[in-house]
Amino acid sequence: MSDFSEELVRPTTEDEQGETCVLSGTGMCFPWLQKHIETVGKTLVATGGKREKDFAQTTSACLSFIQEALLKHQWQQAAEYMHSYLQILEDSDSNKRQGAPEIIWRLGSEILYYHPKSSLETFNTFADRMKNIGVMNYLKISLQHALYLLHHGLLEDANRNLSQAETWRYGEKSSSKEVLINLIQAYKGLLQYYTWSKKKMELSQLDEDDYAYNTASQNMLNHSWKTSINLCALIQIPGVWDPFVKSYVEMLEFYGDQDGAREVLTNYAYDEKFPSNPNAHIYLYGFLKRERAPREKLISVLKLSIEKNMILHRKKEEHHKLGLEVLFGVLDFAGCTKNITAWKYLAKYLRQTLMGSHLAWVQEEWNSRKNWWPRFHFSYFWAKSDWKDDKTLACEKALVAGILLGKGCRYFRYVKKQDHQVLQKKIKQMKKSVKKYSIVNPGL
Amino acid sequence: MDFPSSLPPSLFMTGPLGLSDVPDVSFMCSWRDALTLPESPPQASENGAPHLAKGLLWEPDTPGPLPLLPPGPDPWDPGLTARDLLFRGGYHFRRQPRAVLDVTEQLSQFLWDHGDIAFAPLGKLMLENFKLEGAQALYFLIHFCPWAYLSYRQRRFSILGGPVLATSLARLLGELLHEELAARWEQLLLDDAFTGGALAWVPGRMPGAGQLVYPAGGALDRLSRGPDFQKVSLTPGSEPRVLGDPGHIQLRGPVRQVVTRTVQGEGKAHRHLRPLLTDLLPDHNPDLLCPSALLAVRSDYHCALWKVGKPGQPAPLQVLQVEKGATGISLSPHLPGELTVCSRSGAVCLWNPQDGPSPPHGWPVSPRLRQVYKDPETLVFRDPSPWRWADFTAHPRVLTVGDRTGVKLVDTQGPPGCGLLLFRGGAEASCQKGERVLLTQYLGDCSPESLQPTFHLVCTQFSLYLVDERLPLVPLLKWNHGLSSTPVVAQLLPPPRPGCPRPLLLAGQAGELQLLHITGEGASTPRLAGPPQSLPSRSNSLSAFPLLEPKSQWRLQERLSAPTIGLAATVLPSASTPVLSLFQLSAAGDVFHQRLHLQADPRPDSPAPTASWTPRATSRCSRWLKTLLEVPLTPPMWAAPTFSHRRLLGSFESREVEGKVPEGLRTAMAEGRLLQHRDLGLLPTREQPPAPEPGPEDELSERLEAAWEGQVAAWWERRQGGSSGPGKQPKRHKRRTQLSSTFSSLSGRLDLSDATSPPRSPDRTVPEARPQPPVTPPSQELTQGPWAEGIPSERQQTLRDYMAELPLQGDTPGGASAPSSQTSSIRGTSSRQQTLRDCTVKLQLRGDTAGGASMPSSQTSSVRATLSRQQAAILSGSQPLRKKPRMGF
Repeated sequence: MSDFSEELVRPTTEDEQGETCVLSGTGMCFPWLQKHIETVGKTLVATGGKREKDFAQTTSACLSFIQEALLKHQWQQAAEYMHSYLQILEDSDSNKRQGAPEIIWRLGSEILYYHPKSSLETFNTFADRMKNIGVMNYLKISLQHALYLLHHGLLEDANRNLSQAETWRYGEKSSSKEVLINLIQAYKGLLQYYTWSKKKMELSQLDEDDYAYNTASQNMLNHSWKTSINLCALIQIPGVWDPFVKSYVEMLEFYGDQDGAREVLTNYAYDEKFPSNPNAHIYLYGFLKRERAPREKLISVLKLSIEKNMILHRKKEEHHKLGLEVLFGVLDFAGCTKNITAWKYLAKYLRQTLMGSHLAWVQEEWNSRKNWWPRFHFSYFWAKSDWKDDKTLACEKALVAGILLGKGCRYFRYVKKQDHQVLQKKIKQMKKSVKKYSIVNPGL
Repeated sequence: MDFPSSLPPSLFMTGPLGLSDVPDVSFMCSWRDALTLPESPPQASENGAPHLAKGLLWEPDTPGPLPLLPPGPDPWDPGLTARDLLFRGGYHFRRQPRAVLDVTEQLSQFLWDHGDIAFAPLGKLMLENFKLEGAQALYFLIHFCPWAYLSYRQRRFSILGGPVLATSLARLLGELLHEELAARWEQLLLDDAFTGGALAWVPGRMPGAGQLVYPAGGALDRLSRGPDFQKVSLTPGSEPRVLGDPGHIQLRGPVRQVVTRTVQGEGKAHRHLRPLLTDLLPDHNPDLLCPSALLAVRSDYHCALWKVGKPGQPAPLQVLQVEKGATGISLSPHLPGELTVCSRSGAVCLWNPQDGPSPPHGWPVSPRLRQVYKDPETLVFRDPSPWRWADFTAHPRVLTVGDRTGVKLVDTQGPPGCGLLLFRGGAEASCQKGERVLLTQYLGDCSPESLQPTFHLVCTQFSLYLVDERLPLVPLLKWNHGLSSTPVVAQLLPPPRPGCPRPLLLAGQAGELQLLHITGEGASTPRLAGPPQSLPSRSNSLSAFPLLEPKSQWRLQERLSAPTIGLAATVLPSASTPVLSLFQLSAAGDVFHQRLHLQADPRPDSPAPTASWTPRATSRCSRWLKTLLEVPLTPPMWAAPTFSHRRLLGSFESREVEGKVPEGLRTAMAEGRLLQHRDLGLLPTREQPPAPEPGPEDELSERLEAAWEGQVAAWWERRQGGSSGPGKQPKRHKRRTQLSSTFSSLSGRLDLSDATSPPRSPDRTVPEARPQPPVTPPSQELTQGPWAEGIPSERQQTLRDYMAELPLQGDTPGGASAPSSQTSSIRGTSSRQQTLRDCTVKLQLRGDTAGGASMPSSQTSSVRATLSRQQAAILSGSQPLRKKPRMGF
């Protein structure tokens, strides 16, 4: 294996830490161990390799100066230190010399990114030089350079950069290099997608009978073909590729390749090698919805969302049990406590379920929650604060509280007592429902 | 709870730590993190610079934090350091340094110091194994003083038992000792006792008022307390005011962690804190209107919960004993008074200390303590550390359980043991080899409007990860924090202004503080807004203290660099600029405070203004220091017996040794170097130096005599007329130049150019012993010409002044008698020795002042000069003694 891949694979932080990282007996690595050892070593006269030691100490001091300046946002000072740090490229220690370009690139690009006097040209020059000093980092630096350009709105420059990197070859093939090339291609594909979608916009403004329409659509087709080639390689590799998948699917759909799009999305959502990404399911759901897929299929895709419940609602009785489950599940989360849609649906569902005398369904859900929902949702404090912030929410919650906890519940009592002109009718209705359906004292 | 519609791309690779084949796609620089992919095609524009808050900066008001409270009355000892444990000899420079634990030196010292311990218990221990007939005899034998005379019988036993006892005991003891030392060393490298922090801020009813809760006392076993805890009032424009003197709650063990959570959401500034406890209080309790808080405290083997109400005293609610040792405690942000407690046994318990008699509605009461998870093994791979941590998640019934290898989501209602890994120490998060989880925290417990309530922070010794519990295993943000010590506390603060990124504070044990700006509103992924920032640490405050003598200075320095064990911060929203108030607790029990304000108009071109010490700040530091120095030092645990050889040597050293031979021999012995001829003063080819010619010294004594008699003017006249002669009157400045040219010529000859600057050279090269010319080779006599030609007395004065300013060089006499060897010895002297000598001179100065007073005072030289002179006399043992009276003493 070439030293290139070895270079690539080395975890970057280790480089930055220099050689301060030492494994202890437990297998743990302590970046601060070096400091401890130095406190002991300092008092003694070094016995060997004095020059190397001196240089190593100086470079590590210089590195820490740069890091300190960066953390204090002293960009000018950091740049000055960086100027000296370049000497590390001359280090007699080959290990260090090889790791140096990456450190220099990481720190240098950071300085140039924030330095008030740095310009696009400076950054470009630096990046180009670094690509060739650390040949090992060519792909990485190219990719990051392209991202930088992309964010400065220079799409063409970014594209050129990526194209250059794409064709770059050095040393033997390795899987890490392949992944990087895939990434570079995918980013290139994304850039092409941007132009494609721009053309699509233009096309939508043209008349279909127009002569220009044909050339434009032909042009688009060419583009999309190239783009899909670029994108499809990367999204086979396990990872989170939301922007790539999204644009790829959009293009496939545009050209009527529904099967291809479905396959990509299904793979993205259900392949076990991929992380469980909620977006993958959302994209698949969106696609199926566009495709007007049967509801059963839609339900199965959605795991836990209110939208799922809305579909369920339309399916009446048979899905009520599942609907209750989903609603209770959604309202378990701290981020959803004020979701009025969820509370509204829950109130409605509870009433309907209890009307249909399916008390067992409610109890099944409630049993695991009755020892903490009261404190979590229906406390006195929440009654007060909900009423203050959102009276409709308070009413819906009070109804649910009343049904689940009985009319003695503090939340219900608080809302019940409030005198409100507009909501008077609603509160009255709520009282009636609670009296009728409360699961605490069904006899009454 | 919207999920980001498009996540940043990242590679997902399963595998162990430091898996070699993964390119790191999660870029770790702050700017690259800002470069999330644009949602829509970016507009190609000229000013398409990223919309990034480039100048987001919290500016400290002072260059370092200031002490908030006077130091405690208990002495503090910094404890074991690496220096005490590591092997010191033969330090070789290596690329991969190795820590080698050392016992030989320490153990032999220990045996010398503790003869009783070294010998007696061995016998006692072995006694149990000797149930023989002659047990009584053995008893006597063993209890014999080892230094008493040996009987024949005992001698025989020594011969018999020697091999057995020596090998097996050494092995047994060695193992135990090694185990202990290794444990200490591990602890030194990683002390997880204070994970989570032992300082808490309980906000009061008014914004900017609150109470600090922290352990105090030498053993950190007293929880500061009065009728309330330490009350502090913060105003945006000035230093915090400390109200009242807190009392304390005496606990039975050191406090390791303090957690608080506001129970009431009444206070406007703290609306984000979720209300707790309200249901446990009777309806319409007047207390409800006052903010109260729950206070959970973790000690080594106990956990306790207090309720801090406004009017009354903190009320203890319950204490829990954790037999195997507690490693972490956290309070639920969702349910009043619910806690998680982790134990070293690998168990995680849900603790509801407040579940008292059933509430009015007849809810079934859950058991007070429920084990929700237990696994003595670590989650991802095998790691020996018993450290466990548990926290809450966005779902009140789901907990995170963490250890050194990963973090798991555990459903407390599901079947035991089931769960989903949230963070895995492995290739998924591109962890490197040897990386371990050191701190995890749920970040969703404050204001839901600015950041999703599903985020968790995971800190390792290298990086900081932000994980969303809806997207397990894939960190959304990774940043290399570069702290040079264990991260102990992290705290996410509410945004200082609406729409601003949220500050995240990270504190390392060595006192480093970092502040990150995290943004991620609504459905966007969290990212760093602007480059992270380091905040001043306690050791930055050293410059605010007056300069002290070295010993006290060292003590102060040591105190300021005591490990950080707690951090609390609060943002004071103010009309103009938001102010961040930061409290730090050190292991010495000191609470330091630092105020920072958000830079009003971030202009990248203007250099950041540097804070300076205000007179108020320095006076506060001086007062604090005064109290600190009044605290007595830790009494030594034991005093070394007086028969220590080193001590004997020390006492010899101060004595004046007569004659050159023993002096040289002694130095050679003390330094352990090769004995050389010159050490013995044997210069076979040369004659003994003749007595110095009556030269300038005689003039001096004449002058002194004249001065005593009050006829110095006449003497001067006489001299002017006599020796100098008319027209040869030297001018002072000319002499100076002559002198310095001498130095330069001297330094040139001695090749001292790199080591000496002109004012330093006189004490090295121009000792008073100079006027002994015959020893010098003829060639050097040329350069020394000016000396031999009778130095005028004033010039001597100049010299003396120089010498008074500078300590004397130890090897001067050698140089005087054999200058050829001088070069190497002078160059070999390191600056360390120099400082050492500085100290000795100073110390001697102090010690000998009384003696100096009894000396006949001389008009020509100050006490300092005399002393250095005297020292020179001591050091140059070969000098004729009669010189001393000539100098006036």
